[in-house]
Amino acid sequence: MSKIEEVKAKVEAGKSKLVPGLVQEALDEGSAPAEVLQAMVESMGVVGDKFSAGEIFVPEMLIAAKAMSKGVEVLKPLMAGDGSTSLGTCVIGTVAGDLHDIGKNLVSMMIESAGFDMVDLGVDVPADTFVQAVKDNTNVKIVACSGLLTTTMPALKEAVATVKAAFPDVKVIVGGAPVTPEYAAEVGADGYAPDAGSAAVKARELATA
Amino acid sequence: MLTKRQNLMEVIKGGTPDRFVNQYEFMELIMEAPMDLPLAPAPGTRVKNKWGITFDWPADQIGSFPMHDEEHKALKDITDWKNQVKAPSVFYTDEEWAAAEAHAKSVDRNDKFVTAFCAPGIFEMTHHLMSMEDALMALYEEPEAMKELIDYVVEYELAYAAEVIKHIHPDALFHHDDWGSQISSFISPQMFNEFIVPAYKQVYGFWKANGVELIIHHSDSYAANLVPFMIEMGIDIWQGVMTTNNVPELIKKYGEKITFMGDIDSGRVDFPGWTREKIYEDTKKACEECGKLYFIPCLSQGLNISSFPGVYEATSDVIDQLSKEMF
Repeated sequence: MSKIEEVKAKVEAGKSKLVPGLVQEALDEGSAPAEVLQAMVESMGVVGDKFSAGEIFVPEMLIAAKAMSKGVEVLKPLMAGDGSTSLGTCVIGTVAGDLHDIGKNLVSMMIESAGFDMVDLGVDVPADTFVQAVKDNTNVKIVACSGLLTTTMPALKEAVATVKAAFPDVKVIVGGAPVTPEYAAEVGADGYAPDAGSAAVKARELATA
Repeated sequence: MLTKRQNLMEVIKGGTPDRFVNQYEFMELIMEAPMDLPLAPAPGTRVKNKWGITFDWPADQIGSFPMHDEEHKALKDITDWKNQVKAPSVFYTDEEWAAAEAHAKSVDRNDKFVTAFCAPGIFEMTHHLMSMEDALMALYEEPEAMKELIDYVVEYELAYAAEVIKHIHPDALFHHDDWGSQISSFISPQMFNEFIVPAYKQVYGFWKANGVELIIHHSDSYAANLVPFMIEMGIDIWQGVMTTNNVPELIKKYGEKITFMGDIDSGRVDFPGWTREKIYEDTKKACEECGKLYFIPCLSQGLNISSFPGVYEATSDVIDQLSKEMF
């Protein structure tokens, strides 16, 4: 197995102590940093798909993402200023009136693993704050809004409408327990994802369309 | 007409109930028992409980949350849990027990089960202490430390159980521990079997060895993949079972061993603009699909209340109506 294949396998298995060394070995063997990064992104794609399919659970996804981030730490100094490897910036937050953060954090982690730079606004985020974050950050391609309560669905709708009104070209994706594909379409979102793995796939699809 | 207790027993034993068990009617919850609830008391309040976990209930929210920023996280390093986690005393004064004892004595035990209440659960305690992300990763990265921490929580639960049993002699236990999201269990069945099942076999075994006839476990989530383990732990009724579990299928598969209480998702019916019509629609569907045995129609909410005034009572009223229509 080549070093780059080993990196892929160990990211998928969540071996965060082994991945940095393997990444370094892959680089020493002559692999380009972007190539190693792409291998890890592909691993996280597999992890996301397995999560969506119910084959793995949250802990497995968390340790895989941690392993990838350890590998990225090795690559970062070599890739500083190399914007070509990023899919763009994704602004994420749980909408106003809603304090749930676990699902949003998982989605953030998976979208980051797919190759985005993340701006995490946290929970209870007013619609205007999403807009301000798009203004304040460069190359924002995606805004991801999470809502876990039926009572905060109006806030989700407002967030989508406010962002789309200010930035029609920025793609907005939505998710959370009460959100359905129909509701996402009704409120004018560009995409919907039922779980963290699918959110990463959808973000990549919209950013590269 | 059967008493509430008799009717419940007919449902869970596959007998001949004369009506639906109506939500929590068979449980007389002794909420006066002194306990360390995982809640801030009211909107706009923040409390630090005796485990050192800070709970915050912002004024405009419908519930409280444990806080896990660096300042408030109670357990920052699982490998150092012995220094960072200290269980509170389970001993309360006779005066503190008096109201609970009086309540328990007042109950007609032929009609209802005197029911002890325990929350949070063992899994919940781990993530209340250290955050969900840290707790779930620690199951992989520091499994021995996690097992030690779980054992420590079990010791606390057993000691508290002994006190509750001594003071109110409960017939039933209503125990919370959320094990999943709406669509999946938080951890795999294998991991659940390794970490959680042994803990609950001890805890539920202890309650049952000391006079408790009925274990009702609350998890308002998906957890269909964990039902065999629930049976192994000694759970008699899974309360909070959501529609995402395909409850009619679960009843067919496991009904003779465990009863399912729920199938009316609070998230669908309990909101500011709630209507009796919507509650009737969801409840009727649940009752028709799940049937009369091994099933208790109930909101998925983990107590005999609702988030918005009137929803719990309207649901009870609808269930009474459906009993008349279907029995």
